[in-house]
Amino acid sequence: MIIFLKKFGTTLTGRQFGRESFAAFKPSLKKVKDNEEVVVDFEGVVTFTPSWGDEFLSSLLDKFGKHLILKNTSNLSVQATLKLLENIHKINFKVEES
Amino acid sequence: MSLKLLTISQSSKMIGVSIQTLRRWDNSGKLSSVRKKVAGHRYYKKDDIENYIKNNLKDQFKLAKNWVFNNIGLEPHSDFYCQDSSVFRARLIKLENELSKSKKLGETFPLISAIVGEIGNNSFDHNLGNWPDIPGIFFSYNIKKGKIILADRGQGVLTTLRKVKPELKNHQDALYTAFTEIISGRAPEYRGNGLKFVKDVVIHNKINLFFQTGNARIKIQKDDTDIKVKKTITNFRGCLTLIKF
Repeated sequence: MIIFLKKFGTTLTGRQFGRESFAAFKPSLKKVKDNEEVVVDFEGVVTFTPSWGDEFLSSLLDKFGKHLILKNTSNLSVQATLKLLENIHKINFKVEES
Repeated sequence: MSLKLLTISQSSKMIGVSIQTLRRWDNSGKLSSVRKKVAGHRYYKKDDIENYIKNNLKDQFKLAKNWVFNNIGLEPHSDFYCQDSSVFRARLIKLENELSKSKKLGETFPLISAIVGEIGNNSFDHNLGNWPDIPGIFFSYNIKKGKIILADRGQGVLTTLRKVKPELKNHQDALYTAFTEIISGRAPEYRGNGLKFVKDVVIHNKINLFFQTGNARIKIQKDDTDIKVKKTITNFRGCLTLIKF
């Protein structure tokens, strides 16, 4: 499954909005099969922050663990946010080279 | 149009001038008052005061400061007021769009909109349902001058952070923790690490940050390694931020 983050908006900030986005998308995650990769594509995202990211990405990470892969992460706010989330949760996101 | 009347004391705090100055301006016609009866007390139409502020106060930081320090809670001018997070998000997108045109910022502009987003959303996330008087935030910017101002009349960092760290003694402690310590505990409140993110972005880029809550303030800039929190003489509830880039 590929999740295109720009479908949630290009300015992804705030816990409230992050929670709403995850709750809205959660039913679609039922389609994911065991061991299937879940790719999160950041293409088109302009502003990305830890509050939104923590609600959305951390929830995906809890659910899919090593099967979660991030793509198109070159935006500087995406990079800075991922670095902080990795530091907070003591994890390393799998990032696909684009 | 608001027909609400303000006392001369309320008006002086909103504009940031003394009562004597307002009396002088009234006598000269610069800013006229209204009186409920002949030779009675001076009152000012809220619209007149807001328009005066909008047209005459170039210093938006001073305006935000007056707003958070005023012991009477009044809604800021609608141009600067985000009463809820959806209004803030819409204005943040507008800021993001304007920043994207800045040649000076280039590819770094999303970092500015990201730190503004974290600071603004912190105000909403930590005060939702608990605003002491005026809900929402003051948010203004001037791209040409490279200034962004955010302020809230919320509970302040100490009160909200004590929910996850009850041992915090004062505003200085709370501010230092908020900017430096990773907090991963989620209960009893989802606590973000937004201000750590802000600090990391500021020390790696040409950005200056001023942040005050209660009687504690912090100033951070590029390449800072030592985060120093200072005690201020002034004290207020809520948060006040100035970002320069």
